[in-house]
Amino acid sequence: MPSSGESPRPERIDLPPGTLDLIVLRTLTTMGRQHAYAIAARIEQIAERPAGLNQGTLYPALVRLEQRGWIKGTWRTTESNREACYYAITKAGTRALATQIDRWQRSVGLVNRLLTSEGE
Amino acid sequence: VTGGFARFARRLLNAVWPDRRGGGNADARLEREIASHLQLLEDDYRSRGLSEDEARRAARLALGGVEQTKELHRDARSFRWIDDLRRDVRHAGRLLRRTPIFSFTAVFSLAIGIGATTTIFTVVNAILFQPPAAVVAPDRLVDIGRTRQRNGFGPSSYPGYLDLRQRTTTLDGVYAYSRFTQPMSLGTGGNAGAEGVSGTIVTANYFTVLGAVPAAGRLFTAADGERPLASVTSPVVVLSHRFWTRRFDRDPSIVGREVTLNGHAFTVIGVASEGFHGTGIRALDVWVPMNMVAAVTSPGTTALTDRTANWLSIGGRLKSGISVSQAAAEIDVIGRALASEAPEENRDAGLRLTESSPVPGNGGPLVAFLALLMVIVSFVLIVACTNVAGILLARAAARRHEMALRLAIGAGRGRLVRQLLTETVLLFAIGGSAGLLLARAMTSVLISRLPSLPFPVDVSLALDGRVIAFATGVSLVAALVSGLAPALYASRTDVLPGLRNDTGLVGRLRLRHAFVVGQVALSLVLVVGGGLCLRALQRAASIDPGFDAHGVELASIELEHSGFTSATGSLFARTLVERIRQLPEVESAAIASAVPGGFEVRREAVSVPGVAPPDGNSFIVDWNVVTPGYFATLRTPLAAGRDFTNADRDGAPRVAIVSEAAARQFWPGQEAIGKYLLQQTPGPRGPANRTKPMVPLLVVGVAREVQSTSLLDGLSRAAVYAPLDQQYVSRLTIAARTTRGRRIADQLRAIVAAMNPNISIASAQTLDDAVALGLTPQRIVAAVSGVLGIVGLTLAAIGIYGVTAYAVTRRTREIGVRIALGARTTDVMAMVLREGLALTLIGAALGLLLAAAVGQVLASHLFGIPPIDPVTFTAATLLFVAIGLAACYTPVRRAAHIDPTQALRYE
Repeated sequence: MPSSGESPRPERIDLPPGTLDLIVLRTLTTMGRQHAYAIAARIEQIAERPAGLNQGTLYPALVRLEQRGWIKGTWRTTESNREACYYAITKAGTRALATQIDRWQRSVGLVNRLLTSEGE
Repeated sequence: VTGGFARFARRLLNAVWPDRRGGGNADARLEREIASHLQLLEDDYRSRGLSEDEARRAARLALGGVEQTKELHRDARSFRWIDDLRRDVRHAGRLLRRTPIFSFTAVFSLAIGIGATTTIFTVVNAILFQPPAAVVAPDRLVDIGRTRQRNGFGPSSYPGYLDLRQRTTTLDGVYAYSRFTQPMSLGTGGNAGAEGVSGTIVTANYFTVLGAVPAAGRLFTAADGERPLASVTSPVVVLSHRFWTRRFDRDPSIVGREVTLNGHAFTVIGVASEGFHGTGIRALDVWVPMNMVAAVTSPGTTALTDRTANWLSIGGRLKSGISVSQAAAEIDVIGRALASEAPEENRDAGLRLTESSPVPGNGGPLVAFLALLMVIVSFVLIVACTNVAGILLARAAARRHEMALRLAIGAGRGRLVRQLLTETVLLFAIGGSAGLLLARAMTSVLISRLPSLPFPVDVSLALDGRVIAFATGVSLVAALVSGLAPALYASRTDVLPGLRNDTGLVGRLRLRHAFVVGQVALSLVLVVGGGLCLRALQRAASIDPGFDAHGVELASIELEHSGFTSATGSLFARTLVERIRQLPEVESAAIASAVPGGFEVRREAVSVPGVAPPDGNSFIVDWNVVTPGYFATLRTPLAAGRDFTNADRDGAPRVAIVSEAAARQFWPGQEAIGKYLLQQTPGPRGPANRTKPMVPLLVVGVAREVQSTSLLDGLSRAAVYAPLDQQYVSRLTIAARTTRGRRIADQLRAIVAAMNPNISIASAQTLDDAVALGLTPQRIVAAVSGVLGIVGLTLAAIGIYGVTAYAVTRRTREIGVRIALGARTTDVMAMVLREGLALTLIGAALGLLLAAAVGQVLASHLFGIPPIDPVTFTAATLLFVAIGLAACYTPVRRAAHIDPTQALRYE
């Protein structure tokens, strides 16, 4: 039964772990209810690297966030009359985002300070 | 932490049951999402001017592969092991169904191993671990016993209890209760007559300290104990729930009613809650407060004032914040202080505190016996486990190809190990469940086969949570232990050799051989253990016990609480015997303080003028008080001299009859008749008192040896008999020999009731039963060990067969070559046989060594059978060699019939 075998995985986007979650949450806060493709497009747009992201890598983050109850998906039809699962951030998600951002800022600040002091 | 847990729980719930909020299951939903995602991408690309095909390809590229996305998604669901587990269990179930013989053998042997272990654990649990029912915080309770030269755990006197209670600062409450339940007779006023009940005399704080609550009425309070003895005009009694149910059908109006206990009026003030029976294992009917002891015992009793009357077990509850060792230290100091203050009364005495236990202090032999049973059953479990491990190993070898293939296409080793372990665990889960059912059945068989004990016990052999947890734990540990080696082995497969199907055999074979050797060794130990006990039983049955148990009826009575003095008591006994003798069914009758086979043995110290005892102190003998005609009734011949007569009464010269062993020990080579013994203990109660004068006893007879076949050791010791008229005791056993095996229990009861309605028969049985009861431990070990030994032997035979048969298959080519080159059939057969037999012999040799050690442990219970009994050991060894040969038979035949032309083509 090789179906569960360890086939080579697509390269994950080169982000520190947890960052993708943060980006998704942030995107949903600024843009409101979105489907996965729109989120991916938005990230690509900001990253300015259109071909750099395998959009499939978004799904682990989405399922994780939904399991935690931070986002919630509902099926709707798009403007072009296709059906898609739209994700919206929940109250718990908003709260979590605040703490995540705070934690992120602090760790980035720390790393930055370290890097700059090393450089001198 | 709780938030984290809630989050985890929610995720777990989502993972296990993803579709509970609609949207199909996780995979289906993902499928839908990916489709939608691709659709949106395609739309986008098409709108940028790509063709249909180009758009589709670009969309897939952008997504990064459908399967990979699914895989990532599954990983991220992060409870991937649940999916895997579900798959593994299904796979394992299929495999087990595909090999029914293997599955059946494995499940069967595991069921026996786990069932046997669980059954014994149920008993251990009931006796040692189950907290006493209806008692508050039993883990804070302690027992306190009196030590002698820092040994033992004896009862204390009432003044001693008061001393202790006054001085302790580490215990919140100290209570005491009579160590032995007192047979009492309870009447309800009507014509129903008295009924024998077992009662305990307790301090008034007994229920309070234990935290018991009433089911009706009230329990004793301090007020019940504070009233001075003289003012106790209306004594009170508390009934147990059991007795209330049995006797009064839970009638709540019993509270406030009057009953008679040993002829005195008592008011029932309440009923203890269901299940409550103190901290011990004895079943109790009634409780009487300490200050009313005079009402249930003979008048003028000194039970509450005599410092040498040690009859109370003491217990207490630790103050909060005090540990058992702190309290033990304090009690030790108090014990020393008491000993130094009253050196005469408390010579060599001390106090010891232990955690509360159902068998206070002296549970040693019981614990040892239970531990022995536990060891026996765990042997079977080990044999079963190694058997299954052996089979799993063989199967693992057969599956190397499959494993290699799966490794080659990229399965992780950890994953493979997990899957193989799942199979094993499933096997053990089935085996364990079957074992639990088996344990249930065996427990009920055990309960029904248990001989009636001389005192009622209240233990519940329920399969409670602890037992189920034990069975589950044992199954899991067994599964891990016996599944891990084969699983590791199988997954360690190297891809290339595994695919080419040439296998690194040596290590695995060695392991499998070791398993078989272990099985043979442990089974042999079991068979030898069972055999030794069987031989002991045989010996016990065949040796002349010195009496004829067949057709003797026994009935015990207690005269102490019915107002008898030593004069009236012995008169009562004499009249009773005469009346019984008048029954047409009775050949002869007598009364004794102890009969063979009993659990309670009274030992006394005697000295012999002019003979120095071995330890320089005194001779210790088994002491029995009998009426004339006792020896005739038991058909114990007198080797010399005469029986007691009615002339040996109070005031006449004091006489004694000694056993042959005593005569030999005291006066080797001399005539015992006419010699004198010095009796050190003047009365029936209390320890040897060195200040009182010694009483000379004239030896008038020598009785044949009586093998008491008691629980203790079944060895005969020096015994001394004294006439009841001269040495009155109040606890008596009637022995009546009947003609043609008639039961006369009812007639005996009627005679006793007619003579004194306050006296009840505490226990009635035949001497045959009493003697058989004494052999119960040997019987249990013989049955358990023997049966399990045979089971183990069968499993070992399967193991030997498997190994040998496999060897033949593996060497078919080689054997073919040998035959082609001219080897004789006998040579080939010998070669195969040697391998199978070698395992048997190595296992048997190891087993014999182990069995010799086990024999030493059993030595004191074997009735003189040597622990390394040549008969048992030889027979067991021969049996195993025979079984080993039988197990090799088919493989050897197969080897002999190998056709070289086919064998050379075989691969």
